[in-house]
Amino acid sequence: MRSPELHGLPSAPLWPLLAKELREITSGRALWTMLLLLCPLVGYSFFQGVSIYTESSRAAIHSPVLASSLSPLDGILLPTLGSFYVAVTLLFPFVAIRALGQEKETGALRLLVQLPYRHSTLVSLKLAAVLVAWILASLPALSTLVCWRFLGGHLALAETANLLFGHLIYGLLIGALALFSASISESAATAAIIALAVTIGSWVLDFSVAGHPGLLSWVAKLSLTQTLRPFEQGLLSSGLVLGASSAVVCLVALSTVWLPPGVSARSKLRRSLPWILITAAVLGAATQLRLSIDVTEDRRNSFAAADQKLLATLQLPLLVSVHLAPEDPRYADLQRNVLAKLDRAMPNVSISLAGGRQGFSAEGDESYGEIEYVYDGRSDVSRSTSPREILPLIYSLAGVSPPAPMPGGEYPGYPLVASADAALFWFFGGLPLLVVLCWWWIRRPPAIDSSLANQGGPS
Amino acid sequence: MTADLPVLPAESTIGVTHIPPLHVIDLTKRYGEERAIDRVTFSAGSGEVLGIIGPNGAGKTTLLEALVGLLPADSGEVRWHGEPLPSPQRRSVLFYLPDGVRPYRDESTSHVVSFFSAVYQRSKAQIADTIASVGLHPVLQKRVGALSKGYNRRLLLALALLAPHPILLMDEPFDGFDLRQTREVADLLRIQAARGRTFILAVHQLIDAERVCDRLLLLAGGRVRSVGTLAELRAQTSLPSGSLEDIFLALT
Repeated sequence: MRSPELHGLPSAPLWPLLAKELREITSGRALWTMLLLLCPLVGYSFFQGVSIYTESSRAAIHSPVLASSLSPLDGILLPTLGSFYVAVTLLFPFVAIRALGQEKETGALRLLVQLPYRHSTLVSLKLAAVLVAWILASLPALSTLVCWRFLGGHLALAETANLLFGHLIYGLLIGALALFSASISESAATAAIIALAVTIGSWVLDFSVAGHPGLLSWVAKLSLTQTLRPFEQGLLSSGLVLGASSAVVCLVALSTVWLPPGVSARSKLRRSLPWILITAAVLGAATQLRLSIDVTEDRRNSFAAADQKLLATLQLPLLVSVHLAPEDPRYADLQRNVLAKLDRAMPNVSISLAGGRQGFSAEGDESYGEIEYVYDGRSDVSRSTSPREILPLIYSLAGVSPPAPMPGGEYPGYPLVASADAALFWFFGGLPLLVVLCWWWIRRPPAIDSSLANQGGPS
Repeated sequence: MTADLPVLPAESTIGVTHIPPLHVIDLTKRYGEERAIDRVTFSAGSGEVLGIIGPNGAGKTTLLEALVGLLPADSGEVRWHGEPLPSPQRRSVLFYLPDGVRPYRDESTSHVVSFFSAVYQRSKAQIADTIASVGLHPVLQKRVGALSKGYNRRLLLALALLAPHPILLMDEPFDGFDLRQTREVADLLRIQAARGRTFILAVHQLIDAERVCDRLLLLAGGRVRSVGTLAELRAQTSLPSGSLEDIFLALT
């Protein structure tokens, strides 16, 4: 053996490592404690959601107009999964950190890094175990969907799957962040502080600086909570998926760089830099990706089908100049009702704030509140934030006639009068009992292969 | 113990080694201005049990961790059969068993053993033989966190023996064992060494080192004070009938 050969490195099986990671993350208390907390938390949110939805449905059940505003996405899924999101933000880091933090604390990491696996493999399989833990943690939330269907509720497949996908991406982001925190920390407690500082810091960013003009607005967009928002609005955004995926890959790569104990901090910093630069470039590219799909059943993020079809044919650039401060509620209305939809429907839309993102002085400015639309050298001004007024204006600028409404396709709404009282027994009794039983089953002493145990030897 | 060991080079037979398989040259590790180990040079032959002895803070653990690549060394070189062995590749040749590790405390002992066995693709017979040789079978169902210090040490020893590496480095391998157990473990290591595996042991108890080691490396203040067999050390210190303790005191 003249030259070193990595013992078993090319053929070291992955399954034992993955099984070990799964056992590690499921044998600890953190995951099961989180599950026990999630049962009543998610269950009560679901119960409240059903109660409010039922109250709204009583009035709407005989009124098609009112009924059309009742969507299970808003009424049931968002509040129920919202509580799951809170738990993932606050509790899941403790579960994910365990995948690496405990090995660091007990010294087992010094054995692990000597095994014939690449460090990237070690971290990737830890993330896979974290993903399995997230799936287990999501079971109470998923069971609310079953309960809702059992109560006779409606679920639109695309928007439900999209929302769950968003939560999955968010969970992976939190998991990868926790792994990275553990890789740079000497103890699990320090890793938890770092991870929570980022997740709770995101909330603070979101609450305190969102809606502010200028740099603060840009900073608010870095908040992790922004990851879920488009999914909650029923949008599948390619830019967001790319950005979040690249952030996960970056955190895994950084964890791999910082995992081995035999490398100096300076060297680790040097190796981290390319990953940070690459990720920054990908995130920058992701912000330029405009492709997003409206997966909602009520097509809330799109204009009427006939308008969508006609707007897609307007190939010239549409320039929209908004004379509103970013924090003005009218700007939020305009953005939600018109600009975001236009941006998705038309191939070439350019939107600018006339006052810049640094703020807008409303006092003494008569043009404040005006929105100027320029298309094909022609321009018009409106103060409306409603598509009913703005779309005809755009059609007029483009020299096309407003389309005739397409028949059908109206969202009927799904009012439902139901009681979720019985579900409380499941979330406060049955499910926690099941969790405890699974916990006990996983922690029971293993069966020993008799061929291994019955050998002699010194005692 | 019938675990298959890696095929060793033909010219490296016990006691007759033309080029020592492992050659450490001027290995140095600094913490700020302080040199934890300072230009440590030594070699280890196939089938040899080399003991690293020294007072507390001599740098024994630092030397092992820098050697295996778990600590970044500031300078020095490690050679394997005359060829440089860079830090990332050392885990292919060296397996290090740290002191004070209690791995995977929420898992059962059998799971931990099975994990290492599966990674190194050991046969059932090899696993059973290893478990028997370290006397681990009474605690296979116990969680690692519930093991006594002695059984935890046996578990670690089993993990090291399951690794197929030609050179095993162990930090305080007899810590936690009583006299009888220490002798059993020493015999086990001697049997393994007789099959061609090299052991480098950092040993605090001189009597244990004297019992099991072929050669001794005396480390003090991060520097090698002396290397050789007990007889060579006796000659060096002019203590023809001196014990290792006498030699230790004379050289440190």
